[in-house]
Amino acid sequence: MISLVDLKKTFGERVALHGLNLEVRPGEIFGLLGHNGAGKSTAIGMMLGQVWPTSGSVKVCGHDVTTHRALALRKVGAIFEAPAFYDYLSGRRNVEILSHYSAPTPGKRIDEVLDWVGLTERQGSKVRTYSHGMRARLAIAQALLPRPELLIFDEPGSGLDPEGIAEMRQTILRLHREMGLTILLSSHLLSEVEQLCSRIAVLNQGRKVFDGPIADAKAAPGRLMLKTPDFARAAALLIERGIITSSSDERFIKLSDGRTTSEAVRVLVNANIPVNGIWQQEQTLEDFYMALVKASANGK
Amino acid sequence: MFFAQLKNELWKLFGKKRTYIGFGAFVVALSAMLLIFKYTHWQPNLEGILSVHGYLASEYISVLTVALIMIFPQVALLMPLYVTLVGGDLVAKEAEDGTLRMILSRPVSRVRLLLVKWIAGIIFTAVLVVALGVIALGFAGVCYPWRGMFVFGQIQPGADMTFSLFTAHQGLVLFAVSHVFIVINTITLMSVAFMFSCFNMKPAAATILALSFMFVSMVMERIPFFDAYQDWFITHHLECWFLIFQQPTPWQEIYQSELILAATSATAFIIGVMGFQVRDIKS
Repeated sequence: MISLVDLKKTFGERVALHGLNLEVRPGEIFGLLGHNGAGKSTAIGMMLGQVWPTSGSVKVCGHDVTTHRALALRKVGAIFEAPAFYDYLSGRRNVEILSHYSAPTPGKRIDEVLDWVGLTERQGSKVRTYSHGMRARLAIAQALLPRPELLIFDEPGSGLDPEGIAEMRQTILRLHREMGLTILLSSHLLSEVEQLCSRIAVLNQGRKVFDGPIADAKAAPGRLMLKTPDFARAAALLIERGIITSSSDERFIKLSDGRTTSEAVRVLVNANIPVNGIWQQEQTLEDFYMALVKASANGK
Repeated sequence: MFFAQLKNELWKLFGKKRTYIGFGAFVVALSAMLLIFKYTHWQPNLEGILSVHGYLASEYISVLTVALIMIFPQVALLMPLYVTLVGGDLVAKEAEDGTLRMILSRPVSRVRLLLVKWIAGIIFTAVLVVALGVIALGFAGVCYPWRGMFVFGQIQPGADMTFSLFTAHQGLVLFAVSHVFIVINTITLMSVAFMFSCFNMKPAAATILALSFMFVSMVMERIPFFDAYQDWFITHHLECWFLIFQQPTPWQEIYQSELILAATSATAFIIGVMGFQVRDIKS
């Protein structure tokens, strides 16, 4: 659905993206993660033909955005951080205005999308009277007008309260479930990405540092939770024997490369240290992200 | 779709409260001009000039005469300020507000978008100029009778002095045609502001640049050293609308100036499109 090949963007001397390769498959919810200035918005801008690539290619829905923008964006909807509207016009008029920049849209379709996002009652009110949540819903309405196959969300949770974020999450899941849309979600909210996405890519300083299923990101290889009445002695012994590299929080141990869980258990049992339980620990997306960014900053 | 998009742009322009505040400012300025003319030495002076030349003042101090006096400073000062404000906003304000990014996430080409915006700006400018003329006639009609038209004055120091008398019918036709030329002139200023607006800058910066362009041209035009180069200054051509009231009317000079202004507008649009086409639109 989206294919970025060796995509590079420079702003003067500054390199915003270093040869980004990315593939978003039809029907998936794909998360794009990265800190401010990592290059997420630049990448999205290039997908929408708003930012010109310095080199490389951007294909959306099978069409090159730089040469066939109209074809590429025919079935694409975009929702931006803090969506901007003409505040002095009504919600419906805003949707009508934006609809005219896509294909001709009958009034019935506008009724449908406003109904879908629950804004039918307030469609005649000026947008300046809308809450953040209502503006977010209006943004979704305008994105749904061309019956899109792909929706791009650029920081959709920004400015929303927890209730609004939960509502946005439910809406994205509904869009995916009911309409079978492919969704690209760029967000700072790692918990949201964790709950919504099947695959993610992480950008750091314009470089992709991870791309894969979220399950791979959450799996923490070699990180175990050890339940024992004498954790300090157990950890010290395992480090001494070279079976683990580190321990933390009086609960976690990190296996050395090539060592196994059964080796660790054997050593502890032989030393008469009771083992009440030991199992593979799954890390949160936040742990994964922070470790990745740290490793990237250290040049690993 | 083109007309639907054009309608959208007009909705945006005419939906703003600021538009009507601008129209209101013109109404206030026109009223002030009418009161100043009526209640200061201005009217008696004009009557004196007519009498000295053997004309009956009561036949020529009329709706058309006063309406022209009322619109003259608006065309020279208030109108450029207002249309450059509007032209400077057309693209830059949308970029600043973030709505441009929303529009450009749709499959509309940048050239098409700018064309629609520019034409909307042209229509807005035309409506504004026509409204100015109609309001001036209406206000003058409250205080003065419908008689012949007297035009006396010069467009700038050193220019030919105009002293012309017309019947009411002739005067009305010339007043209407002069507005066609004012529309073309005003569109030029709007287009220059629009051009700057297409580049990556704040709306106020686009307006200030367009006004600076006009004022620099105006100042240079008045420096004696540049007397031989008058045709190179846009403000020289912007003044051509007043020539229609000279007798005989220098049509060739007027057409030449209008063509230059129309070409300037088109050039400004093309430069704006080229700048906008290569620009990155970011949040």
